Amino acid sequence: MVNVVKEIQARFSRHDDFFFEEEQKDKMPFYLMGFNTLIDLAKSNLYVRQVAASSSSVNELFINLSDQLDVDTEKLIKAILEGKLVIVLGNGKRNAIVDPVSRNLRRNIDKPQSESPLQGPLDAFVEDIKTNIGLIRKRLDTERLCHSSHEVGKLASRKLSMLYIKGRAPDTLIKKINKQIKQIDTDIETVDDLNKYFGQRSSIVSHVFLTELPSEVTHLLKKNRVVLLLDNYPFALVFPNLLLDMFCIASDRNYPSLLAYALRTLRVVGAVINVLLPALYVAIVSVNPEILKIDLALFVSESRRGIPFPALLETMIMVVLVDLTLEAIVRLPKSVGPTITMVGGIILGQAMVQAKLVSPLLVIVVTAIVISGSVVSGIQNSLYIRLLRYPILILASIYGVLGVFIGFLFTIVYLASLTSNGIPYTAFRIRERGTQNES
Amino acid sequence: MKRVNKTLITAMFLLTFLSGCWDIKDIDQRNLPLVIGIAKADNNEYKVTAQIPIPKLSGQTQSGPMSRIVTSKGESFSSALGQIKTNSEDAVDYSHVRLIVIQKNLTKNQKELRQLIKFLMDSKEIPMKAMLAITNDHIEKLLSNINDKLGVDSTSLYDFFNKGAGWAPEISSAPIWEVYRSLFSYTEDITIPVVDSGKDTVLNYKGAAVLKKGKITQRISPNENQLINLFQNKSAKGKIESVGFASVMVTKSTIENKTVMKNNKPLVYSDLNLKIDILERKADITNNQIRERLEKLTQKQFYHIFKQAQKSNTDIFGFGQYFRDQIPYDDLKNWRGKYYPKLKVNFQVHVSME
Repeated sequence: MVNVVKEIQARFSRHDDFFFEEEQKDKMPFYLMGFNTLIDLAKSNLYVRQVAASSSSVNELFINLSDQLDVDTEKLIKAILEGKLVIVLGNGKRNAIVDPVSRNLRRNIDKPQSESPLQGPLDAFVEDIKTNIGLIRKRLDTERLCHSSHEVGKLASRKLSMLYIKGRAPDTLIKKINKQIKQIDTDIETVDDLNKYFGQRSSIVSHVFLTELPSEVTHLLKKNRVVLLLDNYPFALVFPNLLLDMFCIASDRNYPSLLAYALRTLRVVGAVINVLLPALYVAIVSVNPEILKIDLALFVSESRRGIPFPALLETMIMVVLVDLTLEAIVRLPKSVGPTITMVGGIILGQAMVQAKLVSPLLVIVVTAIVISGSVVSGIQNSLYIRLLRYPILILASIYGVLGVFIGFLFTIVYLASLTSNGIPYTAFRIRERGTQNES
Repeated sequence: MKRVNKTLITAMFLLTFLSGCWDIKDIDQRNLPLVIGIAKADNNEYKVTAQIPIPKLSGQTQSGPMSRIVTSKGESFSSALGQIKTNSEDAVDYSHVRLIVIQKNLTKNQKELRQLIKFLMDSKEIPMKAMLAITNDHIEKLLSNINDKLGVDSTSLYDFFNKGAGWAPEISSAPIWEVYRSLFSYTEDITIPVVDSGKDTVLNYKGAAVLKKGKITQRISPNENQLINLFQNKSAKGKIESVGFASVMVTKSTIENKTVMKNNKPLVYSDLNLKIDILERKADITNNQIRERLEKLTQKQFYHIFKQAQKSNTDIFGFGQYFRDQIPYDDLKNWRGKYYPKLKVNFQVHVSME
């Protein structure tokens, strides 16, 4: 046995799924190596034998199998880890890295799981990065769609692809992101790991907008954005994340424009209601009842009679309970989910009111919050909007209606202060365009 | 640097949480008086009565009184209001007061009435859009009247004056701020509605009292008051008039005023356009007859009030407002004494049929 083979075997001595097989061609032994968890062994073996049978010599066999011939040992090891089949000649003089028949470890292209486009294309990204890029390329058949691929990570490398349209995405932005990707020196496991390299900020708003829909991505690419794709992650990361992404969805434009604008307005109204309504309830009920009409004031007063909690506590209890329910429904297996919905509905809606723990009016308010919270696009966006209402709620309980609006103002000021790579979060779109020609 | 930041954040938190939310009271812990009555007690003290609606518990049908009447006495109006606050079980929030009824015995003293209106205007608690009314009745009787009537709401007293509810074209409305303004106005006086407790209805409208600088100079009947409302561009829509041999309903009314100043003698041409609908008539009465009769009647009514008003130097129609740009500002304060008695009004009524 030769050194190369021994070295590789030594390296993988602790890997039980490493296989090592000996074959012969013209009485010359050669060895096949790889991971049987990644390679379909039977089929790959058959393939090598077929090629061997049609080749006249060992030399020809190697040339027929692969064009990556005679590389050093380190590269061989890396190839084995990536799921390639490595062939080494008995005397160690020749070796080759072969693309084997892989085990099927992929999911098929499926419907989107976290978004539900109405009257739009129904395919969604999957874990395999090549499939994802293919889905985008299929839609944008232009040579100006550029793709630069990187491998990042320290312990395990992970593929990271950057896509943009030359002449659309600003050159400076592309340069900056390229530089930031090159700086990555830790493992990228989550989106937040990646987020750190786009500028440190302890913010509730991410630098990237996540979407599962290729149609959305192609639309945003045309709107001068840069799209990042991570291997084994079925979402595209659109850079930068802008406020309007929350309200405008590409598939809106499948409707007449008037309808599309009405839908977007509705989403804005929903987001504002979600942030302000509980705070307004507390402010009006406990601090500024004088702004109510007298009939309404009497009605509210009647509905709150006998409730033992102050308005703030009452609202806090309900809002936290509702957020808990929402979170529980996401975590639970699909078979148990409806039970929680039912129990939650009965307890929150009926029992609490009948026991006089919360006022019926608050139940209406909370219902409005839950409904309005889900109208914005993107789970992340609806999560951070849900978080925004708590500070405003506390301000409202102290300063009343004034507090509500000061809180809202500060929220807007905060959102306006966020930037990603110099592009403000509240920008409507990226005006700057890149140059089309290579210079 | 980090330490400073931490202190700063802590200070901000303390500022937020210690800055006086201790006196915030939920709406169900507040009593919301709707109507306040003010009278003069025998021993020259102020007697203040508040009508507070009782919220009904949800699911329960209403039984028992709809509102409670709380009375207290004090040397001044504010001390009496404070007395109510002290004695009440819940916090008393005057910000929802919509109507202030003044008993007649208090209106006799011009100085006191002026003081009262000034106090109501200055008070931060009582909203200045609350209406003023005068009553000949006993305040407590008027306010508790609501509890004996069937099918009325606890807000009925206020609904009577509410344009969105029970308001009728004859009723004059006098918010506190307008009354306060008229105390200082050179050119306009105001009418305050007079109400009594009714037998079948909660209130009985008795016309209006004309207030001139805090003094009541004249009483006006409901019908006459409607004319005044017309001059303030309040529509008379829905008003039913009887002209003897027919009764008509006014469906639309507009008024146009033109003013001329000749040799320091003011002259107003006033054109009232009424659109009417004939509801019933006696046999052989033509449309023209009804029209002429209505025109004549209205004109007669106008000149009747106008003459009286001129006699007492009170400008209830607010004619002085039209001359503000024609009389030098320094001379304006003499409007009531110098110009108003010489004012000639040419009042024409034009009636048209639907």
